[in-house]
Amino acid sequence: MRSFGELWRSTIITKWVMAITGIMIVGFLLAHVSGNLLIFAGQEAMNDYGVWLRELGHGTLLWVLRFGLLAVFGLHIWSGIRMARINRAARPVGYKKFESRTSTVVSRTMLLTGLLIFLYAVYHLAHFTWGLAHAQYYYGLDALGRPDVYTMVIQSFQDPLIVVIYVVSMIVIGMHLNHAINSALQTLGINHPKYNTLLINGSRALSVFIVLAFLSIPLAIVFGFVK
Amino acid sequence: MQLRLHIWRQAGPSAEGMLKTYDIGNVSEHMSFLEMLDVLNEELMLKGEEPVAFDHDCREGICGTCGMVINGRPHGPASRTTACQLHMRSFKDGDEIYIEPWRASAFPVVKDLVVDRTSLDRIIQKGGFVSVNTGNALDGNTLPVSKIDADLAMDAASCIGCGACVAACPNASAMLFTAAKIGHLGMLPQGQAERSTRAMRMVLHMDAEGFGGCSNQYECEAACPKGISVDWIARMNRDFVKSSVVGRE
Amino acid sequence: MQLNSNVPDGPLESKWDDYKAHLKLVNPANKRKYHVIVVGTGLAGASAAASLAELGYKVTAFTYHDSPRRAHSIAAQGGINAAKNYQNDGDSVYRLFYDTVKGGDFRAREANVYRLAQVSVNIIDQCVAQGVPFAREYGGYLANRSFGGAQVSRTFYARGQTGQQLLLGAYQALERQIGLGSVKMHCKNEMLDLVIVDGRARGIVSRDLVTGAISTHMADAVLMCTGGYGNVFYLSTNAKACNVTAAFRAYKRGAAFGNPCYTQIHPTCIPVSGDYQSKLTLMSESLRNDGRIWVPKQKGDTRPPDQIPEGERDYYLERKYPSYGNLSPRDIASRAAKEACDAGRGVGPGGKGVYLDFADAIERLGIEVVRDRYSNLFEMYERITGEDPYKVPMRIYPAVHYTMGGLWVDYDLMSSIPGLFVLGEANFSDHGANRLGASALMQGLADGYFVVPYTLGGYLAKGGFDKVSAEGPEAKAARVASQEKVQRLLAIKGKRTPASFHRELGKIMWDYCGMARNEAGLKKALELIPALRAEFWSNLSIPGTGEELNQTLEHALRVADFMEFAELMCLDALHRNESAGGHFREEYQTEDGEALRNDEDFCYVAAWEYAGESTRPILHKEPLTFESVELATRSYK
Ligand SMILES: Cc1cc2nc3c(=O)[nH]c(=O)nc-3n(C[C@H](O)[C@H](O)[C@H](O)COP(=O)(O)OP(=O)(O)OC[C@H]3O[C@@H](n4cnc5c(N)ncnc54)[C@H](O)[C@@H]3O)c2cc1C
Ligand code: HEM
Ligand code: HEM
Ligand code: SF4
Ligand code: F3S
Ligand code: FES
Repeated sequence: MRSFGELWRSTIITKWVMAITGIMIVGFLLAHVSGNLLIFAGQEAMNDYGVWLRELGHGTLLWVLRFGLLAVFGLHIWSGIRMARINRAARPVGYKKFESRTSTVVSRTMLLTGLLIFLYAVYHLAHFTWGLAHAQYYYGLDALGRPDVYTMVIQSFQDPLIVVIYVVSMIVIGMHLNHAINSALQTLGINHPKYNTLLINGSRALSVFIVLAFLSIPLAIVFGFVK
Repeated sequence: MQLRLHIWRQAGPSAEGMLKTYDIGNVSEHMSFLEMLDVLNEELMLKGEEPVAFDHDCREGICGTCGMVINGRPHGPASRTTACQLHMRSFKDGDEIYIEPWRASAFPVVKDLVVDRTSLDRIIQKGGFVSVNTGNALDGNTLPVSKIDADLAMDAASCIGCGACVAACPNASAMLFTAAKIGHLGMLPQGQAERSTRAMRMVLHMDAEGFGGCSNQYECEAACPKGISVDWIARMNRDFVKSSVVGRE
Repeated sequence: MQLNSNVPDGPLESKWDDYKAHLKLVNPANKRKYHVIVVGTGLAGASAAASLAELGYKVTAFTYHDSPRRAHSIAAQGGINAAKNYQNDGDSVYRLFYDTVKGGDFRAREANVYRLAQVSVNIIDQCVAQGVPFAREYGGYLANRSFGGAQVSRTFYARGQTGQQLLLGAYQALERQIGLGSVKMHCKNEMLDLVIVDGRARGIVSRDLVTGAISTHMADAVLMCTGGYGNVFYLSTNAKACNVTAAFRAYKRGAAFGNPCYTQIHPTCIPVSGDYQSKLTLMSESLRNDGRIWVPKQKGDTRPPDQIPEGERDYYLERKYPSYGNLSPRDIASRAAKEACDAGRGVGPGGKGVYLDFADAIERLGIEVVRDRYSNLFEMYERITGEDPYKVPMRIYPAVHYTMGGLWVDYDLMSSIPGLFVLGEANFSDHGANRLGASALMQGLADGYFVVPYTLGGYLAKGGFDKVSAEGPEAKAARVASQEKVQRLLAIKGKRTPASFHRELGKIMWDYCGMARNEAGLKKALELIPALRAEFWSNLSIPGTGEELNQTLEHALRVADFMEFAELMCLDALHRNESAGGHFREEYQTEDGEALRNDEDFCYVAAWEYAGESTRPILHKEPLTFESVELATRSYK
């Protein structure tokens, strides 16, 4: 029988790792954005949600999820870098002139957008979770003694620099997802002529939805819909 | 018409190559692209220069021998058309045309536009067949095959092994070629006994030859002169993962 | 030279079975001690190499292609015949046998053809098992189509790519054996000579086309499966690289060449469009089912077709052959087209074309039906000519398509050199003077899968194979001769390219040894060819060296052999004072222009033996006797 290592090194399994972890991250994003949208329901709801999160499974489940997410990100990045290296080695001499027909700048620069997302994520954690960046907005406690996530977000997005960083990052994420979601389905072999159009359009719609949903928060704050 | 050609010239596998420019006049729109190169070569030879080496044989789009990247597109601008079936009416007077060989580390350049594609044969050697010795066979009508399946198998089987998919793929991946063979045999009852091991062995060998992986760019399908669909790649992915997870090979 | 067909005794129906049952066998444990060289990996070669390796022989195979999958067999479109009688329409082994013998104008060896018909059924089974995606009916069973020269439906097909799919089947079987290590494959390696030791074929000289290295390979037997020589005409439907070198080298080493003049001209090809034309493309004959063939009545009429009124058109096939009309057989339709064009009534550039018009069909059936039947052919035509056949009539012209002649072989497919077996289009065996559609694929695979694995075993079992070395005197001499030949070609340093000589030779052959031949023309050709050959050897130019990939040198080596072979073809055509199948001598025709066979004097295979550089080859005659069929005249009125 083939050893696990041999299979693990095959490009298709590497791709599966990338696709499955990618889809898990998409799942995280959906969950995260739903939580974040509570900001439209006001300080009460938002901060309550914060507490709920922290107390999940007596506080341990959150850590389990955090480490799980870390592993998922790690695997996704590992597989992305591995594929990129294999693919680069496969064409040592490029064309003087090449015209693409189906691929796009976006689909060919997934590693770049991925790395930008990674940078964003580090920045984002430093901002909202560790309080290392823009510490002046880092949360205090609200009237009920809960961490005041709501105020932190509102205050942060008063700062034009932060808004620009977030908006640009969300667009980058949108680019990554635009190719990623349908690509993951193809990688996983979820493909049938009867449903392909549906899958392609569905993937695109999902990526647009995620980006718009995230964007709605800083934009709503900037334009004063949420105060 | 009058054309300016920029052609990749490389004396041998380890020689340094470069684009050289040639002007050619009196090109008729009825010529095939390769006939245009024939004319250029005759002119070069009469001037005592080495003609441009390029591969070709049937010149009717079926043997898969010809192949070059013409103005940035494998087999040239016309879709579903091999280089030998491309005609000069696809170009106009005064055009500049870039002609380069297939580029992939698994397709080393032999000379000028000729590359070594034996890596594709070696992928087939690993499992692109049904293991049936001559004389083993039952009557041809013993196993009915639905017309739909037979037609699908034929779609995949029409691959001519030209390698344009590899040339077009930003990752120089041979996924489409490999998937077409796995798909062809996997669609038929005769191919079932080895379906799992076939996918396993061919894919692992494709990697070992130094082809890239697939990032679903679909350039291969667009360049394929036989219009082989990337759906076959999805199917191969399924077969391979199934074989990895539950196969006993 | 003594030609013995070695046809076994006994009734036709049981010859092959009896023969197989009594063949000497090679002990299975000893098989790997026998080494077989297979030159050519088209249908015939790939199927033979794979089958022999499966049996346990040690096989080394050669092809000048970069992969076995590229052999010219890949281009066959129409289909493959087999006497399965799946259609319940009265087909049988005998009927396939009879159709083939009759189609060949009674110039083939009965026993070989009967065996071919017998094993045809096994071929289909074998190919299906390999995964060849033959067309199926809705119920899942194999579909058939009808083909010329038969009244039953027995042609199996895989879309318009039957040759491709059959070759891929054989190629895959071969690749499997290469993977298992039982076949050693040399791609981009061209055989330049045959090595004979003690009167037996024991090896070949080959040139590695990438490095230019010329080396000798030794074995116990050599199988030549090197295809046909239609490219002696320069323009043909054959792939560019098809050539006669291997067969001709074997001829020069003593193998008799059978019926070199038998060539088949296909009526529906896309016409030449200019001097640069490099090859001709076949359009399936099925187009003649609905298209009407015509030329203008007026000489030199250059009006566009839609401006030529009905009354000024000559539907010459319908006029001359009212009962068969546009569906007259290949040779008749071809000759009629040539006649019209020779009379100055041809159409298109250079006047070498006739119209194949679908306007009536479109009116009668509707454009949708026509599209459904022929869209892929129409697209191919449009890709090549830039004209839309739905609107403008197609232009077609006959082109060289297949060569029935080839190295003479006996019932075992062994040539007149012991140990040299010849398979596929390279031999002369089964098609007589004319081949029926869908029979070449059948023959190639029959030879490779089901005949040679038996007969070669019978030969090897006789034993007596001393060890031979690649450094032995015969091997060395042959290798040095090839090396010298290459050097001689490179040293000419003249002014003309191999292609220009090839084109000129082709024109001579087409004009004087083509569709219609006559004594004066053939004699003229026999003067022109040696003169051209002399110029070739004094005014050829080949840039580059012999130690690298040099496609001009490859071409020159092939043209050098065509130059000599062309003469043999003309000699054969000149000596055969009759018209039979693909060989039409203008002097021998009936009053209304039909081929006139002469069974009295020419019912034999003409097998030519090489007799030296400037000596006329020696003609041997293998008489053809027909026990099971009666010689009849073909008539299509
Ligand atoms: C356009 C076209 C359509 C056709 N359609 C049909 C059809 O529908 N049905 C049908 O039955 N027949 C058809 N035929 C005929 C049929 O395809 C061929 O006769 C048959 O495939 C020949 O097979 P083969 O194996 O003998 O030779 P090929 O397939 O020609 O193979 C020759 C092999 O020999 C090798 N070779 C040759 N010389 C050398 C050398 N010196 N050294 C090393 N290697 C060498 C080549 O590389 C190649 O591998 C068609 C032919 C043409 C041209
Ligand atoms: C918001 C976070 C991210 C999400 C939701 C995400 C999602 C995905 C998905 C679903 C895929 C498709 C997998 C496939 O085609 O099979 C993918 C591909 C990829 N991702 Fe991510 N990803 C994220 C972050 C990252 C990061 C941080 C990197 C950093 C290296 C990265 C690099 C890549 C690469 C290189 C690919 C491969 C693209 C290709 O093969 O064309 N991604 N991603
Ligand atoms: C406008 C968009 C976004 C907003 C407003 C936002 C807001 C927040 C906030 C407020 C927190 C802190 C929650 C808390 O500590 O209770 C947080 C945590 C986090 N966010 Fe975001 N986020 C956004 C986009 C993203 C994106 C695109 C990603 C993924 C790449 C992401 C990944 C994370 C992670 C990993 C955490 C840490 C969760 C933990 O505590 O473990 N966020 N986000
Ligand atoms: S899949 Fe298409 S492009 Fe790739 S080798 Fe086959 S025919 Fe050529
Ligand atoms: S272009 Fe390349 S990335 Fe995949 S879909 Fe085709 S192999
Ligand atoms: S030369 Fe055969 S496909 Fe182009």
